[in-house]
Amino acid sequence: MFEEASEVFDNMFKSSFPLTFIVFIPAVLILVSPLPAEAAHEFTVYRMQQYDLQGQPYGTRNAILNTEARTVEAEVLSRRCVIMRLVDFSYERYQKALRQSAGAVVIILPKNMSTMPQDIVQQFMELEPEMLATETIVPVYFALEDDELLSIYTQTLTSSSSQGSSSAAEVLIHTATANGFQMVTSGAQSKAVSDWSITSLEGRLAGTGGEDLPTIVLVAHYDSFGVAPWLSYGADSNGSGVSMLLELARLFSRLYTYKRTHAGYNLLFFVSGGGKFNYQGTKRWLEDNLDHTDSSLLQDNVAFVLCLDTLGNGDSLHLHVSKPPKEGTPQYALLKELETVVSSQYPEVKFSMVHKKINLADDTLAWEHERFGIRRLPAFTLSHLNSHREAQRSSIMDVRPHVDLRKLSRNTKLIAEALARVIYNLTEKGAPGDLQIFTEQMQVQEEQLSSVVDWLTAQPRAAQLVDKDSSVVSTLEYHLGRYLKDVRRHYVKADKRDPEFVFYDQLKQTMNAYRVKPAIFDLLLAVCIAAYLGVIYLAIQHFGVLYSLVRRITAPKTKQH
Amino acid sequence: MTLFHFGNCFALAYFPYFITYKCSGLSEYNAFWRCVQAGATYLFVQLCKMLFLATFFPTWEGGAGVYDFVGEFMKATVDLADLLGLHLVMSRNAGKGEYKIMVAAMGWATAELVMSRCIPLWVGARGIEFDWKYIQMSFDSNISLVHYIAMAAVVWMFTRYDLPKSFRLPVTVLLGLCVYKAFLMECLDCTAKAILTFYCFNTFM
Repeated sequence: MFEEASEVFDNMFKSSFPLTFIVFIPAVLILVSPLPAEAAHEFTVYRMQQYDLQGQPYGTRNAILNTEARTVEAEVLSRRCVIMRLVDFSYERYQKALRQSAGAVVIILPKNMSTMPQDIVQQFMELEPEMLATETIVPVYFALEDDELLSIYTQTLTSSSSQGSSSAAEVLIHTATANGFQMVTSGAQSKAVSDWSITSLEGRLAGTGGEDLPTIVLVAHYDSFGVAPWLSYGADSNGSGVSMLLELARLFSRLYTYKRTHAGYNLLFFVSGGGKFNYQGTKRWLEDNLDHTDSSLLQDNVAFVLCLDTLGNGDSLHLHVSKPPKEGTPQYALLKELETVVSSQYPEVKFSMVHKKINLADDTLAWEHERFGIRRLPAFTLSHLNSHREAQRSSIMDVRPHVDLRKLSRNTKLIAEALARVIYNLTEKGAPGDLQIFTEQMQVQEEQLSSVVDWLTAQPRAAQLVDKDSSVVSTLEYHLGRYLKDVRRHYVKADKRDPEFVFYDQLKQTMNAYRVKPAIFDLLLAVCIAAYLGVIYLAIQHFGVLYSLVRRITAPKTKQH
Repeated sequence: MTLFHFGNCFALAYFPYFITYKCSGLSEYNAFWRCVQAGATYLFVQLCKMLFLATFFPTWEGGAGVYDFVGEFMKATVDLADLLGLHLVMSRNAGKGEYKIMVAAMGWATAELVMSRCIPLWVGARGIEFDWKYIQMSFDSNISLVHYIAMAAVVWMFTRYDLPKSFRLPVTVLLGLCVYKAFLMECLDCTAKAILTFYCFNTFM
């Protein structure tokens, strides 16, 4: 047959040259065509944090993946993608995967965090900082669970746990029936983002009654932090702080519109970015205002700086200071007013002052007021958390249900009352402790607080994701502009030669899970096909035997003649 | 090893044709070019069928799940052109009966293999993802080889004038089965489903 075929092709080549093109070009095109991508399942994965802070690298360094999937029970984990569910997650297993230099770790999170039992959530929250503290080259991904992912997980689990001890026949059957999965991510290797600018916003309410008025500064940082940037919604820390700041801005701007209630204090509101990365926004803002400008509100008479951090829950309030306030200073006045308001109007709240000296030898500062303290401005932070090391401040589990709206609005009213008493000097004028200013028309609006918190927690606000064109920044700017004057943006870019912070990209990727069969399966199949072809060959060669057999069966009467 | 898998499927699909060609003695009769001609006739017949279907049978806009018996019956009738094509090929080939049947069937089946199976195999079996359907497709081509040989034989028998009268009816029935095979399978499937739902409905009421 080949001779005849070659004859035909010879004629084709010799006689009609264009015909060969028509035959060959499509063949070549088909040969070099790229393979279509058809996956068993395609899903979005969110990578763990990767950043450098003050030269120190944190988090995972790698981003590319093209490996087989396994679960933790398997013996060999190196260069495989380890899949874990949140319920089975434990630090030892994570360490085991890292020690064997696994190809990647994928942690499957349930779609609805509130279905998880509290102790697992708590345990994971505590593990997050530990995971981030060690720099690793193994890429760690988080994926939200859905049915297909769960089925992939269960299939991988059965195949991983059955490895090792089984007979040869079992292994053979296993290779034919089991499904392996190859996990492939799209996207390139992660690299540093250059020229990322962190945006902060400021606005003011000017006081009345002459020059050189004392200034009160209210600060809250709007960014959030978690083990995966795209999953950090930061409801309590610090969505509650920002919503409280906006509500205070609204209330005091209302008071300041009327001549009778226009007080003799300047109010400066600052919504800072990069708060979770050692308060970069605040740091640069202070430098610009104190070192580079001739006159600024911060240089003159600053009464005190109040930072709001994590106030959306809990029944305690802690005023964190780096130096206990001396008597007769405005800070002392605020401390006293807070105590008065709590004891007379909100007895269920436990109020205390926490004194922590600024430790400059630490990697990061504890609270935002320490930035001001370093520049010798009197500052404190109000929070319902006792310590800055609490896991809640930097966890992806900090989602909207963590904020109790009634407690948030109670805290807002409490702080507003205390501030008003300081600004209007009410205690000296003899006002009783349970005098409530913010009632009826001046009430704290819970719907306002609720809508701001809902909006803030609807998107991830990690500092790597909010750039200067982001909708978060522009909406905050608009809101501040409704109540305050001179709303300005302030940008921070990392220094070129000695950057304080470096962010990396490739934080959200698409992962494909392809169903694959082990290599032995192909060989097995080849052997089976060869056997089948052998049988066919024999059948055709001895077709006569088959034919006579069939004839004997179908026409028996001819035999009997 | 995905190219290997493609090789597996291709071998499974193609080698029986090769074996049949070699062992049925066609190579001794220099039948290669004649098989290619039969293949070209296959292409022509398919083209005519497609044009006919596209022109005279607009898309059915009925409800989903309702099987258009009459429409599908008419479409299946168009497959009679296959039989006509086979008859045409066989009548142009001079020679013994077996020679004519084998040449027509081999050419027809090979053309169908190349046209309808090579490209899906090339594109699909080479990818990372594994699917059993490629093995199924290759095996299916083996079955269609046997089917076309049988069909060509029945057509040849139908056109013989010295066929015994008692064989006329079975041959006609077999011819009808060849053409309406897919249609009958769909009918059976629909009726089976209807009976099953009716039965379930009755047991639960």
